[in-house]
Amino acid sequence: MRSLIAIETRGLSKSFGGRAACTDISFEVARGEVFGLLGPNGAGKTTTLRMLAGLYAPDAGTARVAGFEIAPGKPGGPGLRAKVGLLTEQPGFYDRLTARENLIYFGKLQGAVDAPARASKLLDRFALRSHADRHFAELSRGMKQKLAIARALLHEPEVIFLDEPTVGLDPEATREMRNVIAELAAEHATIVLCTHHLDEVERLCSRAAFIAGRLLAVHEMSRKELLRIELAQPFDAAPLANLYKSIETRGPVLLIEPLAEVPDIVAALAAAGARIVSVSPHRDALEEAWLQLSKEARERGLTS
Amino acid sequence: MTWLIVRKELLELRRSPVLLLSMISLPATVVLVPVVLLAWLLKRAPDQALAFVQEFYGVKGSATVAGVASVLAQNWLPMFLVLPVFLPILIAAQSIGGERERRTLEPLLATPVSTTSIILGKSIAALIPALIITWTAAALFCLGIDVIVGSALLPDSSWLFGTLLLAPLLALFGNGAAVVVSARVLDPRAAQNLAATTVLPLLGLLVTQLAGKISLGPRFYFGLALGVATLDVALIAFAVRTFDRERLLTHWR
Repeated sequence: MRSLIAIETRGLSKSFGGRAACTDISFEVARGEVFGLLGPNGAGKTTTLRMLAGLYAPDAGTARVAGFEIAPGKPGGPGLRAKVGLLTEQPGFYDRLTARENLIYFGKLQGAVDAPARASKLLDRFALRSHADRHFAELSRGMKQKLAIARALLHEPEVIFLDEPTVGLDPEATREMRNVIAELAAEHATIVLCTHHLDEVERLCSRAAFIAGRLLAVHEMSRKELLRIELAQPFDAAPLANLYKSIETRGPVLLIEPLAEVPDIVAALAAAGARIVSVSPHRDALEEAWLQLSKEARERGLTS
Repeated sequence: MTWLIVRKELLELRRSPVLLLSMISLPATVVLVPVVLLAWLLKRAPDQALAFVQEFYGVKGSATVAGVASVLAQNWLPMFLVLPVFLPILIAAQSIGGERERRTLEPLLATPVSTTSIILGKSIAALIPALIITWTAAALFCLGIDVIVGSALLPDSSWLFGTLLLAPLLALFGNGAAVVVSARVLDPRAAQNLAATTVLPLLGLLVTQLAGKISLGPRFYFGLALGVATLDVALIAFAVRTFDRERLLTHWR
């Protein structure tokens, strides 16, 4: 029977030349979950990802990925690498090969069944068919990144690791890339998304681990759509309880989980005498958690 | 997997006209210069020049033309042993460091492909063009000498032994040295320069022989073949044992 847990790490640590890249990283990722690894540059996200993708062994701790053990001196081996797909930070293709040739080459190396057919299918899926026979060097940055994500899917991996998938992309390409990840999530792929973009994690992940050299916390994403209403002065909204599921009052700011339509809430508040300054969606729970954890990390000397 | 890597490497090489040109330019010079020189010496040069060469290399007897051509051809053979060492270095020195520089190393190492397949694939892909070019150059050189002399002087047994047996062994050596250096130095240019120093002993032999100080015979070439074959096995084993995936991804010098 397949485990419901796709990834399980216990105290993973890795250092290079005596300098700790990450220490005591422990978390679990369920099958079909999109899990974020969030942290500033140099926090140890890529190191963690590379250990989980079988590129190198930890100095301490263990992990189990897609059923394969990772331990000191045991980086998982070819069996693990055949079961995971890795989107590296840089696309990393051969300039003189065409997009199709690159995909077929990596597909065969990954042991994909009928690599040419699989490559064609993915070129179609990522709208790259018309560019399939162009040399890789001629493609735009966005196309290159889509090709890289196609490569990670060639062998239909059990776990997909995405290392900074939107870094260096223009806004349009970023949006396209996020849509691709959202599509994969909708197909119940198990994804570990490594990024330092909070909005990316908030949009795409169900949970995220905050890493700054070590694991600070695992944050569960709230999918509540909150309304942030800023008032000129504090106001008691208790009499309007039929308009919201929950309310939090932070001085002159109300955070409301609404039951009614926004115009109705605004009208009811105005009728009750509240002076409204602004109304906006509130989705900064992750940002707040991140800022709080970053502050704590700085105080503990984990980051500068 | 090995042949997959070989095919990809050769496809990339076919699409790199500058690299191909750089691989062909040295062999072309190695063939053209002595052939043209010999033609000039035998057909156009003043008699004193020919007499000087005869005296310098101790060519005696009535068959002057064939004698001089034979001595020059023998003395030039080490140059065709330098080629198979030098040519694979041009490709193999780029093998690991080049992958890293182009950021293709991490995706490659993330596949299930084994270390042995990577090293063998890249080595064979460097050896094939190097040997084809060396053999073509050797054939053209022999043909040129034979045409000038007017008889089938080359290839003789030394040339056949040198080009057919010794050249592949030396090519394997040059490639092995380049792969080992490339996997440790990581900067492709530095790797190329360091690996290229392996041709220096052969160049030294060539110069010493051209200067008339030594005469390399069949026993020397046979001994060289044995020594290089032993080194080849040791280098390949060393390359596979020291291919450190983690180091390749994390070290920058």
